[in-house]
Amino acid sequence: MSISARQRQEIEEFLIDYAAAIDDGLLDRWPDFFGDPCLYKIVSKENFDSGLPLALLLCDSPGMIRDRCDAFAELNVYGPRAWRHMIGQLRLTEDGDSVRARSNFVIFESLSGEDTHILCAGEYCDVLVRRDGALKFRERICIYDTTMIPNSIVMPI
Amino acid sequence: MADRQRQWPAGNDRVPYWIYTDQDNYQRELERIFQGPTWSYVGLDCEIPNSGDYKRTTIGDQSIIVVRDEHGGVNAMINRCVHRGVQLCQQDKGTVDEFMCPYHQWTYDLAGNLLGIPFQRGVKGKGGMPGNFVPEDHGLETVRVQGRNGGIFATLSDGTPDLETYLGDPILGYYDRIFDGRALRLLGHSRQRIGGNWKLMLENIKDTHHASLLHVFFVTFGLFRVDNDSRIEMDPSGLHTALSSIRGKQELNDGTAQMKSFHGEMELNDPRLLDTVREFPGDQTVVMQTIWPNLILQQQSNTLATRQIVPKGPEAFELHWTFFGYETDDDDMTARRLRQANLMGPAGLVSIDDGQIIERTQNGIRPNPGAEGIVELGGRDTDNADHMVTEVALRAFYQGYRKVMGL
Repeated sequence: MSISARQRQEIEEFLIDYAAAIDDGLLDRWPDFFGDPCLYKIVSKENFDSGLPLALLLCDSPGMIRDRCDAFAELNVYGPRAWRHMIGQLRLTEDGDSVRARSNFVIFESLSGEDTHILCAGEYCDVLVRRDGALKFRERICIYDTTMIPNSIVMPI
Repeated sequence: MADRQRQWPAGNDRVPYWIYTDQDNYQRELERIFQGPTWSYVGLDCEIPNSGDYKRTTIGDQSIIVVRDEHGGVNAMINRCVHRGVQLCQQDKGTVDEFMCPYHQWTYDLAGNLLGIPFQRGVKGKGGMPGNFVPEDHGLETVRVQGRNGGIFATLSDGTPDLETYLGDPILGYYDRIFDGRALRLLGHSRQRIGGNWKLMLENIKDTHHASLLHVFFVTFGLFRVDNDSRIEMDPSGLHTALSSIRGKQELNDGTAQMKSFHGEMELNDPRLLDTVREFPGDQTVVMQTIWPNLILQQQSNTLATRQIVPKGPEAFELHWTFFGYETDDDDMTARRLRQANLMGPAGLVSIDDGQIIERTQNGIRPNPGAEGIVELGGRDTDNADHMVTEVALRAFYQGYRKVMGL
């Protein structure tokens, strides 16, 4: 059974909406993209390929996602910047009552007075479910290729 | 830069800004510090557990291979084929039987001995190496290595004393508190590049009171705060420091009242982040060590990590984090360490602030090499302290630094 064109379009719009919410600075929307239970991780390809469990960022409950959201929005100290996600090469497979989605990402970071640089590039490995009619992430694992993060990752990717 | 600007200000409570920007001073640091009689941290045993496992690392600007040999020992070599200078290893880690340079296939064993050269005896009676060429004399340039309880250090100097003498009292004791002989379990790596002078990273750890002001997370949950019971201890050189502290309560007192970043009402939605357990002897809940010249050894609650500082010119450095636990950890403890790792690293709830503030410091310093910083909090002495409302570890550090650098 293949994914219908309509289903694919809905997932694509969901992923674009997620990226746009972050790029537009609407961080308070970020937790709403996740279901319960959920898992959000940013993992280096280096650790992933070696089977090492360390994540750069790990949230394994909706509460941890909300705590991280508060930290990014209010607690951490960082300079003004703009982020721009580029996502593409979406690949979908059905898996029981969920859909597995893989897509590529690049994030451009622009700091005041500096050249725009690439913050990181990598792949999203997602598990999507439907809850009360709406798509949610059950899992979003962001595997980044970048071997040297330019300073810090100060928002969710 | 005019010599006038390279003068150190009078007294030990001022730090001149040219030491963070000056290219000549940086070259001198590479020679006198990183190539000098110091033990640079290069990795953990658990990164290269088996024969032939190697990692590529750095001492100063020198690329180094650290490899486990057939006898279980650890060897370190300069990552450069002695033939024409090609870097032997391009990968950060791997497993090999031998090292072969791809250019002309000179091949070395795991101790760096030259095993063979193609066409050494010529082809069809022509060419080849001269008869008096002795392969035994042309191994890789080896580097002195010493390990202790799972940590591996290397030095480019013959004059470096053994590691135990080098760490000295009380740092060796704090080192052994973490590296207590139990086998380590590798949890993973993080790497970041920060646009600041490498010494600013060491300063950041030695500067205890910033944590009470900059880091909301530390402050609010009492993980590291000036009103906690704390100690700042240094070795006689002042270059190594151990900061230890006992976690305080989320309460309003004469310390927290002065911290704008204290949030008395804040609660975590998921308190498992700070579900900490005591696992080391003594009451301290955090011990942060700076081991000269390139290691920060971190125990904050149950998150353990080494941070290797890799200088990249006067105005940038890389920070290579290695998180670890112990082979004896159960699944709950490993999960706890991995959750608490959220505090640290390039997206750390606490460390984000440090990476950002170091770059901002460099930006402020860059156009002002003739100006100087103030490190006067807590007085002008360089003695161990039983509190952290002091910049004593910075004063002691720069006293040691000046001696090493001849400044």
